[in-house]
Amino acid sequence: MTVNRDETLAQVADIIREVIGEAWVDETPIGMETSFSDDLELESIEFVALAERLQENYGDSVDFVGWLSQKSLDDIIALRVGELVEHILECAKG
Amino acid sequence: MAEVLANGLRFHVQRIGAGPSPVVFIHGLVMDNLSSWYFAAATQVAREVPVLLWDLRGHGRTERPQSGYTVPQMVADLAAVLDAAAVEGPVHLVGNSFGGLLALAFAMAHPERTASLVLVDAHLSDAGFGAEMAGTLGLEGEARDQKIAESFKDWLGRHSERKRNRLAESASALVYGTTLVADLQASELFDDAALRAMDAPALLLYGEKSDILHRGERLAATLPRAELRVVAGATHSVIWEATDTVRDAIIEWAKEHR
Repeated sequence: MTVNRDETLAQVADIIREVIGEAWVDETPIGMETSFSDDLELESIEFVALAERLQENYGDSVDFVGWLSQKSLDDIIALRVGELVEHILECAKG
Repeated sequence: MAEVLANGLRFHVQRIGAGPSPVVFIHGLVMDNLSSWYFAAATQVAREVPVLLWDLRGHGRTERPQSGYTVPQMVADLAAVLDAAAVEGPVHLVGNSFGGLLALAFAMAHPERTASLVLVDAHLSDAGFGAEMAGTLGLEGEARDQKIAESFKDWLGRHSERKRNRLAESASALVYGTTLVADLQASELFDDAALRAMDAPALLLYGEKSDILHRGERLAATLPRAELRVVAGATHSVIWEATDTVRDAIIEWAKEHR
């Protein structure tokens, strides 16, 4: 698994684009500061799909559901792409 | 996407944790899908016990057939989803709003598969139910959009253009493009004798200001093993207005009944 921040961000951005699956998101820049709610307007059912796709991609080395379960609704609403990327990098360090 | 084939339809299912007798979460009608329970409670409940979430026919990421939205058909859907997912042992059903009605109907049809119930501001098929549903769901144009905006409390429930449009589209497709409203209007009423014969223990969580608190009171008076808890200040949207209270009650219940 890659532990490079830029590569992980690029992988996560690709998965986000795949989950949203609409043309506009291909032209939307996705960076560490991008907000799932305010910038990407992700619906909650899309977020469930995103968690599932990430789990498939990263396997047992990253526990997305457990990570989400420690967050309040307000935390999840305020979530930024960078927090997800950092979590993946943390897990990769072991 | 995690899906199972049941009753000829592809159902979107999410399982968290493995093992028999999971907690099965059931969401509400039309403006709802499994993500509500996922974010309100399921990920935390899954730390204690296995969990299964599913999208009802026509909802979320499950297929939307033109017909088959009667209560018995949706009960049959749940039974088939549990079979297709190879779930072992009786399940603990947690239902919100219409999902609570389905949980009860499932428990009456399949007592041997029902370990317990948590009903959150659950509807009941009673004299007013069909007309209420038709009144709410049969709205058109601006009134309908207003209702969608009011009643849909997504965790990302900001009313952005994209989300509003998509919700309105999917609600219209379900309300105008399927037999849902007619099917629900034709729902058979739950009778007191059937409720009195229910074996499973039930926790009833209702909002103090809910317009359907009377349904919780009727359940408390008829179900032999029910405990009614009224959540102070909350309306029918108790799942969002008192999320921590609802979640903690489910976790405590799941630990006690596993």
